[in-house]
Amino acid sequence: MLSGATGRLVRTELTLMKREPVTLTFVFAFPVITMLIIGGSFGTEPDIAFDGINPSHWYVASYLTVVIAATGLIMVPVHLASYRERGVLRRFALAGFPRWSFAIAQFVTGSVAVAASSLLLLAVAAPVYGIPTPTGWLPLLAALAFGTVAFVSIGVLLGMTLPSARAAQAVGLLLFFPSFLLGAGGPPPHVMGSTLRGIAHVLPLTWLTDAVRGPWLGLGTASGSLALTAVTALAASLAALRRSRV
Amino acid sequence: MTDFEVDDEVVTVAGLRKSYGDRVVVDGLDLAVRTGEIVGLIGANGAGKTTTVECIQGLRRPDAGTLRVFGMDPMTQGVRVRRLLGSQLQDASLPDRLRVAEAVDLFDEARFGDGADLLEEFGLAARRRSPFAALSGGERQRLFLVLALLNRPRLVILDELTQGLDPAGRRDVWAAVQRLRRSGRSVLLVTHELQEAQVLCDRVIVMGAGRVLDVGTPTELVARHGGHITIRFSLPDSNPAPSSLDQVQGVHEVIVDRATITINGDRECIVHVGAALAAQGLFPADLTVDSPDLEQAVLRMLVDAEPVAGDLVVTTC
Repeated sequence: MLSGATGRLVRTELTLMKREPVTLTFVFAFPVITMLIIGGSFGTEPDIAFDGINPSHWYVASYLTVVIAATGLIMVPVHLASYRERGVLRRFALAGFPRWSFAIAQFVTGSVAVAASSLLLLAVAAPVYGIPTPTGWLPLLAALAFGTVAFVSIGVLLGMTLPSARAAQAVGLLLFFPSFLLGAGGPPPHVMGSTLRGIAHVLPLTWLTDAVRGPWLGLGTASGSLALTAVTALAASLAALRRSRV
Repeated sequence: MTDFEVDDEVVTVAGLRKSYGDRVVVDGLDLAVRTGEIVGLIGANGAGKTTTVECIQGLRRPDAGTLRVFGMDPMTQGVRVRRLLGSQLQDASLPDRLRVAEAVDLFDEARFGDGADLLEEFGLAARRRSPFAALSGGERQRLFLVLALLNRPRLVILDELTQGLDPAGRRDVWAAVQRLRRSGRSVLLVTHELQEAQVLCDRVIVMGAGRVLDVGTPTELVARHGGHITIRFSLPDSNPAPSSLDQVQGVHEVIVDRATITINGDRECIVHVGAALAAQGLFPADLTVDSPDLEQAVLRMLVDAEPVAGDLVVTTC
């Protein structure tokens, strides 16, 4: 367990997370509501457009990555940039909190948000669409772990770089929605045109979603996508820690 | 004022220099803060006050010069230095949804258990469950002061302490700062409020263009830079103009405009003019004395030092 200044900061951030409307909206409400709508739009029969998978199950699996992306691209950067803009980080630094402790606190808070929202999403999905049993637990859990590290680190990087909460929100939304529509929660790749598919293939959220869907829905291990997600996690976390140093 | 030994120095700054790009913000600055004294740091906007304080706090690395806080280098021993510092910042904030009691718990590094008493002392006990966003400007300033004092710091840095406070709140905070001095703690007070500096500070450091323009007690600075005092009174037409007032000790100028007499001179001339009038049997009931204060002294210093002194935001309380 974290102790001392960093522990106090993490506990405080977890408390504040529950009171933050952006978090409650984008990380908890948005994925659940859109999963319910999209998941019910294509029926529950296996469909060739969805690699022969039940479309509802396809979207249940996909929307766990939407939770991760919303946390990393919207919640974390807006929160952190707001702190920087208003001098909260400066006040914390003067009170003896190491600057890196904010990055740690954001990482822990982001991970808890992802876990809590994922559980909520699965709890809602289970009685409505059912939850498919994963065929490869290890690669699935690895993908979720790498994805969380990657996107929360990207969030820390954005929050430590962008000048204001408004800028962070604008950039975050601009990154989130195309990624969401092309890489996770939108139409399946088979119905997209070649240009959109080409764009989707270079999005980190597409890599993560492929790495999650593959072992979950029996579509293969998606080791290439998992490797890309792992590399993104490593690069983003190093960059975030470097940006968070005093 | 107490005479302090050199080892009483809590902060020692010698030849501090700091630039941002080509712009020199602090240019060879020397200053000292001693145990148990309140030192005011005042100057125009852009004079280098905040940068100086940030160097003392270890938040900025000086380009040159020596800087010691409790004998330690704030850059290399920042964690130890900051444990002895309590800082109230002008332009810092807290998360909107953080409650008062949660803020106290978050910042209570030393766990002396002073939080409840400090909240009571600064009138925030009833606001323990209020989120930061719901506090008034004055309540926020008082909360920042509570947070600055939580860990029983030996040096307290206060930046624009009473900004946004009403007169009663300002007096309360001034009293709290005076209690800090009585408890043996040192205070570095960065302020635009010159009346505040005059009331609270043992010594005032006036900065301009990154340099120290002068240092002294408020009284010394007023005496050196404040200019003349002015005595005004009027006499009924039946009274003859008092004779030989221009010969009175300390008087520089006597202006007679019909029944109104204006005398400019040194502070000491007040007593001598009074004595001269009494000796002539004159007791004007409307006699007033305008004495220069720290505000006038500082303004004069800044005007003499640089043409941009008008940037100083002077607020009279």
